[in-house]
Amino acid sequence: MVSRVLVPMEDSEMSDRALEYALEVYPDAEITVLHVVGEPSQMWGHATGIALADDLEDAAEEHANAVFDRAREIVADASGDVDLETAIEFGHPARAIINRAGDYETVVIGTHSGSIANRIFVGNVAEKVFRSSPVPVVVVR
Amino acid sequence: MVSVLLLVGILVAVFVGYNVGGATTGPAFGPAVGADAISKTAAGVLMTVFFFVGAWTIGRRVVDTLGRELVRDPGVFTLEASIGVLFFIGAALFIGNFFGVPASTSMTAVGSIAGLGLAAGELNVAVMGEIAIWWVVSPFIGFWVSLIIGRYFYSALNRRLAMVRSEGPLYRLDQSRRVPVPVPTDTTNWRELGGVAMVIVIGCLMAFSSGTSNIANAVAPLVGSGQLAMNPAIVIGCAAVGIGTVTIARRTLETMGNDLTELPLTAAIVTATVSASLVIFLSAIGIPASFVIIATMCIIGLGWGRATRPITVADAVRGEESVPLSVDALTADEEGETLPPIGGEDPERIPSASDLFDPATTARVVLMQNIVPVIATGGAYATFRFVPIFGL
Repeated sequence: MVSRVLVPMEDSEMSDRALEYALEVYPDAEITVLHVVGEPSQMWGHATGIALADDLEDAAEEHANAVFDRAREIVADASGDVDLETAIEFGHPARAIINRAGDYETVVIGTHSGSIANRIFVGNVAEKVFRSSPVPVVVVR
Repeated sequence: MVSVLLLVGILVAVFVGYNVGGATTGPAFGPAVGADAISKTAAGVLMTVFFFVGAWTIGRRVVDTLGRELVRDPGVFTLEASIGVLFFIGAALFIGNFFGVPASTSMTAVGSIAGLGLAAGELNVAVMGEIAIWWVVSPFIGFWVSLIIGRYFYSALNRRLAMVRSEGPLYRLDQSRRVPVPVPTDTTNWRELGGVAMVIVIGCLMAFSSGTSNIANAVAPLVGSGQLAMNPAIVIGCAAVGIGTVTIARRTLETMGNDLTELPLTAAIVTATVSASLVIFLSAIGIPASFVIIATMCIIGLGWGRATRPITVADAVRGEESVPLSVDALTADEEGETLPPIGGEDPERIPSASDLFDPATTARVVLMQNIVPVIATGGAYATFRFVPIFGL
């Protein structure tokens, strides 16, 4: 019986599917949606933009709220009354997810669907998580 | 026959210049256009004018380096080979714009010409070495200067530069005089006017610096071939840049796909000033500078300096600064370190700003920016070495 599930999400169709899958397969589990802000970008402008904000947490929430809202919509659509936990981490997505994963029993993640630039600068997040996570990982495609 | 080839060469050079104009107007005047300080057309015109000034005064030194010094015998710049080199530069620009992988045009130009020189056995290794050393040193200078600014001066700068735009237009044209001049409207305050003026001036500085380093990328091979004299080449190149600034640049200004625009205005100003100054300095000593990498290192330095800044107790108490929650997060998770057992790690791990600047990840980004120039160098070498149509 899996009771604590981590679903790392970005603004992509693949992570939507990951959450849908988690809701379907672990209906009784406590699901935490994690969004990582300040990921590497071509000229590092994104991460520095956040680091320079007066209030780091406000800036992070501003970026993350769109993803969390989408996640709540998906939960509502699945007509589940699941209590959704949310969490924000900073930095490289794979590293941040692996850092968190230890607190959960399973990680459910979508295959990475980034652009070429994203592939080059961030790498394949799902693959990295899959390789180094301390807990079982389900990769949804 | 020769004149047709020369025409093709000029056309390819114009294509390169056109793309340079499109790609550099965004970083230079994006903040000014974003703040509604000037129109896109005005940005294009200012870009062209200051690009030309930079190209005409200092840019020719870089043209000399690329066209006459990097290869021991400029004779290797046959028209065919010049077109080949320009083709590689154009392709790099295209890849950069299309896939969003920023590529330094200057590094690609040096790489392609070095590939040509290597294939012909005429590469001037001393000049190449000097350029390469500056490529390593200059980003670090940018990094350290920005780091110091980010750590100690950013808050103060940010307070001073905080630009609040008032309602209504910034200025109106005073028609009562013989020559209509813009005068501030009643709603414009002096502080705002100063801020706007500064954003425009820094855009012009960026345009100037771009001219000093980028004109060579478009025209150096043709100047090296001896088919085109320096001054007409610079004029043609700048005209091509001008076309780019008022056409495709409108789109780059609009989509703001550029990562620089994610920065707050103050940060954009600091980055622009530091990197433009470095680029102008390098161009003045004849070194083709790579704006992309210098600017990236400035951005990383600024952000990291800010993330690791010391905070005075007074600031923290007054609530003007949010206190960084953890100072050693940068070293908390080394690659390859065994992870704590399930539930073993403190669940209250608090994220901090320094998590945003993992050294391995930043190194990866900066390394990846060298991909396109490296491919161009290899491609140019292989092409000029094994494809026998360049008259080498």
